[in-house]
Amino acid sequence: MNVAIKMTGRLYDEIRHDLERPHPFAFERVGFVFGKIGTAADGGRLVLLTRYHSIPDNQYIDDPTVGARIGPDAMTWAMQAVYHGRRTREGIFHIHLHGCVGETCMSRTDAREVPPMIPGFQSVGREAAHGIMILSHDHGSGWVCLPGSKDLMSCSSMSVIGMPIRVFDRGGTL
Amino acid sequence: MDYPKPQIEELKGYCRKLGVLQEGGVTFFSLEGLRLPAGCEPQICDALLCPTSRDQYPSRLFLSIKVKSPYDRNWNCENARIGEKNWFAFSWKVEGANLTLAQVLTSHLLGFTKPK
Amino acid sequence: MTGGRFSRQSFLGTDSEQQIARCTVGVPGLGGGGSHIIQQLAHIGFKRYVLYDDDVTEESNLNRLIGAESRDARAQTPKLHIAKMKILGLQPDAIIRGYPCKWQDNPEPLRDCQIVIGAIDGYRGRRELEIACRRYLMHYVDIGMDVHGENRPVIGGQVILSSPGGPCMTCIGFLTEEKLGAEAARYGNAGSRPQVVWPNGVLASTAVGFAVELVTGWTRTARPYAYMVYNGNEATLTPSKTLKGLERHACAHFPSETVGDPIVIAL
Repeated sequence: MNVAIKMTGRLYDEIRHDLERPHPFAFERVGFVFGKIGTAADGGRLVLLTRYHSIPDNQYIDDPTVGARIGPDAMTWAMQAVYHGRRTREGIFHIHLHGCVGETCMSRTDAREVPPMIPGFQSVGREAAHGIMILSHDHGSGWVCLPGSKDLMSCSSMSVIGMPIRVFDRGGTL
Repeated sequence: MDYPKPQIEELKGYCRKLGVLQEGGVTFFSLEGLRLPAGCEPQICDALLCPTSRDQYPSRLFLSIKVKSPYDRNWNCENARIGEKNWFAFSWKVEGANLTLAQVLTSHLLGFTKPK
Repeated sequence: MTGGRFSRQSFLGTDSEQQIARCTVGVPGLGGGGSHIIQQLAHIGFKRYVLYDDDVTEESNLNRLIGAESRDARAQTPKLHIAKMKILGLQPDAIIRGYPCKWQDNPEPLRDCQIVIGAIDGYRGRRELEIACRRYLMHYVDIGMDVHGENRPVIGGQVILSSPGGPCMTCIGFLTEEKLGAEAARYGNAGSRPQVVWPNGVLASTAVGFAVELVTGWTRTARPYAYMVYNGNEATLTPSKTLKGLERHACAHFPSETVGDPIVIAL
C-alpha cells in the first residue's frame, strides 16, 4: 500500500521556521503536526497535514545525551489534542529536522524513542493516522501508522503544495 | 451555522441516522435511511439536506438515487458531487421564512406527492 | 552549437528540469483547452500525468483539438489516446495514468497530483473540481472561454489560480449563486458552446505559465491566487476587478482543517 504526505507551503514554512530556531539547551527542536487521511488510488492513502504545534521551551527536558527530549507536559498536551480531534479523525505526527542534505531516515535515537509514542496516540485516536516525520534541508521523509495497524509504513513521497512546489520522493535524488 | 438542538432532535425522527457534513463553506445534514412518502420507489434512501440557499434555491434536498414518484419531477440536478458521493435533486422551491429544519425537509418531501 | 533539450529554459532554475519532472499534473478534460495544455506541458518536460476524458474525436472538434487529424475524426479516436501520443512523442518515459471517463467517476488517481489544470464545462463542474482540489491539497488552475452576443460576437474567458490556503473561486467572485442558479435552471447543461483555437491557446498558455511558476518559483514572486479575464475582441488578459482587497483575505469556505476524506459527524 502506498502512503503519501501533502502539506501547504504556508504550513511547511511555519514548521521549518519553528524547528530551525535555537533552543536554550536542547541541540534541536521537535514539534507535532496534525493531519487527516484521504483515500488515494489503488487502495493507497494520503496524509493531509492541517496544523502545527510548537512545543514550548519549558516543556523540554535537559538531556545532553540526545538531540532533544520532551517532557510529560508536552506528551499530555499531545494526547489531549488527539482525544479532542478524534471526532474529525485528526492524527498526530512527531516532527523534527535533521541537519543534512537529501533524503533522511530515523537515527538510532529516533527509532528507539519515537515509535513507542504511537500506541498511546492510537489508543485515544483510533480512527486517525499517527506517525513520524523528519525534514532535512531539502527533503522530507515520513512514517505512518494507519488506523488499525501496528506497523509504521514508510511514505512514498512528501509534497509541499506552495510556490515552489516541492516533491520529496522516497529513493529520489535532486 | 448553528441550529437549535430541538430542531436537530426533531430532524432525527425522519431517518435512521442523522449527521452533519461541511463542504465549501456549506452545511449539509446527512439523513441516512430517510423515509420517503407513500408511492415513492424506493421507500427509503439516503439524503443530504442543504437548508441554506444553493444554486438560487432557498434550500435543496439531494437524494442518493433518482426516486420514482407518483408525479413526474424535473430532475435538474444529476450526479452532483457532494461529500465525494453523487447525488440527485429535482426542481422544487420551498418558500417561507423561519422554517425549522423539519419543516424544510417535509416541504421538500411534499414535492413527491403534489402534482405541481 | 545547440544545447540540451531544456537549455533554452535554464532561466527557470538550475533544478527546474528535475522539479518539473517530479511533479504530477492532472488534466481532467482533453478537449480544445486540455489538448493545448497537454502539448505545452509535454514540451516543457512534465513527465507525470493523470488524464481524464471519455470522449472521441469528431469532425466538429478539428477546428481546435490539438494533435487531432482528419483521420482521427473518421476513426473516432479517443481524445485520451491523442493526448497520450502527444505526450509520449516528446517524453517517451512519461508516466501517464489515463482514464476514459469523467474524473468524478474515478476521482482517487487525481488526488496524487500537485497541480490540476482544468478546462471543463460548467460552473457546477468547476465548483466540484475545486472542492476536490482543496480536500486533497492540489493547486487548481482553471481555464474557460465563451462567445456571446449575436449581432456582435464577444469572446470572453478566464484563467484562475485557486490554491489551498488562498482565496477560492467564490472569494474572487468567479463562482456565484447567480451563475450556478442560471446553469441549474438550464438543467445543468453548459450547452454546446462556440469554441475556437486561438483563445484556447492564449488561455492554455497562461495556465501552463502559472503551472511552471508554481513548480519552479522562477519569478520569485508569490502568487497565492489569480483571476485573469480574457477579452478576445480587444486581445487583452487583465486581472479581474473583483480581486480588489483580497490581499489579506482568508478563505472562509475552505478552512485548513477541512481536508481529507469527508467526515459526517453524527448528531
